Amino acid sequence: MMPIEIGTVLYAGAIGLVVIGIAGIVLSHHLFRIILALVIAEAGANLLLVLSGFRWDAIAPIITGGAAAPTMVDPVPQAMVLTSIVIGVGVQALALSLMLRAYGAYKTLDIRELQRRMSADLAGEAGTPLPQSLEEPVGGRPLPAAGGDGR
Amino acid sequence: MNTIVLTVVLPLLAAFIVPVLSRVSPLLGRLLGPLTLAYAILLTLQVWLGMEGKPFSIALGGFQPPLGINFYVDRLSLLFTFLTLVTSLLLWPWRNETEPRQYALTLLLAASACGLALSGDLFNIYVFYELISVASFGLAAATRSGAAFAASLRYLILSGLGSVLVLCGIAIVYLQTGTLNLAQLSQLAPETLNTPLGLSAFALILLGIGVKGELFPVNSWVPEVYAAASGRVSGLLAGLVSKLAVLVIVRLLVLLFQQESALHLMLILGLLGAITGELAAWRAKDMNRMLAFSSIGQLGVIFIAFSIPGETGLFAGLALSLHHLLVKPALFLLAERWWGSLAGLRGAGLASPVAGGLFVLLALSLVGMPPLPGFWAKFLLFTGLAAQSAVIYQVAIGVVLLSIVIEANYLFRVVMDLFQPAEDDRATVVDGHGWLNLGTTFLLSALLIAGMLLMGPLGAWLEGVAMQAADPVLYFDTVFSVSAIH
Amino acid sequence: MRNLAALVFVGGLAFLLLVIFNQFDFAQAPMLVGQGILADAPDRVSAANIVTAVVLGYRGIDTLGEISILFAASAAAGLVLGRRRIDARRDPPGGFILRSGVALLFPLMLVVGFYIILHGHLTPGGGFQGGVILAAAFFLPLLARPETPVDHAGLSIVEGGAGAVFILTGLAALLQGGEFLQPLLNNGVLGELVSAGTLPLLYLAVGLKVGAELAGLMACLADVEVDEP
Repeated sequence: MMPIEIGTVLYAGAIGLVVIGIAGIVLSHHLFRIILALVIAEAGANLLLVLSGFRWDAIAPIITGGAAAPTMVDPVPQAMVLTSIVIGVGVQALALSLMLRAYGAYKTLDIRELQRRMSADLAGEAGTPLPQSLEEPVGGRPLPAAGGDGR
Repeated sequence: MNTIVLTVVLPLLAAFIVPVLSRVSPLLGRLLGPLTLAYAILLTLQVWLGMEGKPFSIALGGFQPPLGINFYVDRLSLLFTFLTLVTSLLLWPWRNETEPRQYALTLLLAASACGLALSGDLFNIYVFYELISVASFGLAAATRSGAAFAASLRYLILSGLGSVLVLCGIAIVYLQTGTLNLAQLSQLAPETLNTPLGLSAFALILLGIGVKGELFPVNSWVPEVYAAASGRVSGLLAGLVSKLAVLVIVRLLVLLFQQESALHLMLILGLLGAITGELAAWRAKDMNRMLAFSSIGQLGVIFIAFSIPGETGLFAGLALSLHHLLVKPALFLLAERWWGSLAGLRGAGLASPVAGGLFVLLALSLVGMPPLPGFWAKFLLFTGLAAQSAVIYQVAIGVVLLSIVIEANYLFRVVMDLFQPAEDDRATVVDGHGWLNLGTTFLLSALLIAGMLLMGPLGAWLEGVAMQAADPVLYFDTVFSVSAIH
Repeated sequence: MRNLAALVFVGGLAFLLLVIFNQFDFAQAPMLVGQGILADAPDRVSAANIVTAVVLGYRGIDTLGEISILFAASAAAGLVLGRRRIDARRDPPGGFILRSGVALLFPLMLVVGFYIILHGHLTPGGGFQGGVILAAAFFLPLLARPETPVDHAGLSIVEGGAGAVFILTGLAALLQGGEFLQPLLNNGVLGELVSAGTLPLLYLAVGLKVGAELAGLMACLADVEVDEP
């Protein structure tokens, strides 16, 4: 059996974090978990980015003894990761404040429930009949709940 | 020439000081944004006249590319800078009760949109893309209703997912090439990115940026946000932001991912978007939702146009984008006037004939009735599609035709309703912000008519823009002509 | 139905990422721009910390975009969360340990934060890291004494002013005939505190801006009354 290189492990970790995060975003229903999953996915992407400049035999790109040493890691990905981490923090803070307000308005943190109540709210405001749930097939099939009043 | 940087920087500066200035003098705070945008428009026109059609590049901070970041200024990027500034000025939140923060966010949106149009660096594009996202989350939630918060939150989550994908795509490109400069990438791409790995990087970036471009699988935020946000914000998002996302994707396609499969991937997603969007719009029961879904459909058609290889695709796509940029905000402003269900619109056109007439004009152009500009844009699309031999382009012709039929059907249903006498006296016509919106719509429609009258020269000029943008060699030469490093 | 679609979507993405993973050869990635910057930066920018040279010099406009994003996030959060009512119920004040701890830590964290900001061009650290420490320092009193109102006006002056300083420094270069954000002043001796031209000034602006934005964001979040709709 071939020995597994540490680089492979790191790359696998980065891509694994992205996959875990995306799965969390798409599959969980609790808003806070979705935001946490977003954080995990961002961490994975940042790890992938910073790995792209890494060298095993190199030192941090800081000049200590006069001239630049010949083997330093690539400084560009480090600067990019610094940028993208800060961007991520801003987006997360905004997500949290939106979540607080959405919870205040609809008293739920379940994203399906939130969407249902929001659609009902929007439809009520616009004066249209309640839109059918996205879970149902389209095509005017009578819904059991709608059958009571019309006919 | 390097004053073009000011179109990005001055709105940013104005955004930073608007909240402070508004505390000191509310009047100055209200005027600062429009004045800044107007000055930036003047600067753009000045650069336009100065460049004489020849592209040039600016090394920011004096650091020559590829080490530093450069702004690439050709007719296409200048055109979109100009359109960004004009659209944000037209759709400025003029109303009295607006918070200064909303001014700041609109200015940030304008600045980042200019940056997206001008930037010549992959990661810099990501930064401006994120800025445009965050500003639009804030604007989408600015109506402060519960629905706006929830819709904006769902938009944010999807958009956050998109940025993760874009970051992964950028990391892959950097891993393969070791550079982020678009010009240098365009030179390296045939060897390093013409692989399955390059294609997957494109797929990731396409899906990520496609969130703003209302691309097929990642557009579920569109109807909710447009229904909950104000008409002006919806107009900005549907008209401007989506076009800039498309512009970025097109730049990357021309420079980085010159492979057939990348074009086909975009074509397929565009086809799905066009058909699903139009069908959903056909089923929609209220005005805003209908416009939102039809916007998805039209952006699908724009993606189809840009996936035609060569400059014919760029030409057709640009024509469609410009047309959509003009018509969609106007329709959203009208929709704010007729907020609510389509069934309640009966007789609204008779009640306010000017608005009704404008709606008919815009709808006709949207469907593609000759001689309105919409017809010429679609005509270019069809000739471009018909010239391609691959089967999928023939399928695309059928799908686009079908989408036009559906679009005509639902738009004329609305027009019929508008001009039918109301059955009862239910006054469902809510007159939103009246004359301001109507005036803006009128201005946009006048531009549309002007475009129709000047169709000949406009078309020739637009073809020149497309030819200049479709040339990766020109891009490379322009960026590195002054560079001592290369 | 939606779950199935979601599963398919995740599966597709996971497959795509696995394909990418398989395609990588984990040899050293090419380092085109990186090598160029490592060779160019010491003479041109004269910042001992080359990452700082990249962040504020070579990719300065990225940093401007980044602080603008923080500003946008903070403005949007302020817009979303709105103003606190005067009569709203507040948390009780913290206990003795928390209050004395804050009194002890607050000046120390200020010193550490400013040290990290001002040495950003020499050692690891800089405006972002130091700015976060400053934000944490100003958040501590909020924890200890929730009843003291947050000075939103002061915060917005700091964030607007710091952002304006960053941009005006860039514009000064433009006015002198250079490009936007071109480093001004003498480079000085590499490795000394006063070196690298305007970079420390830019980093100070970034640090203050980041600190003010994050403090404002946290104050807004701490101020929320969840019971209010």
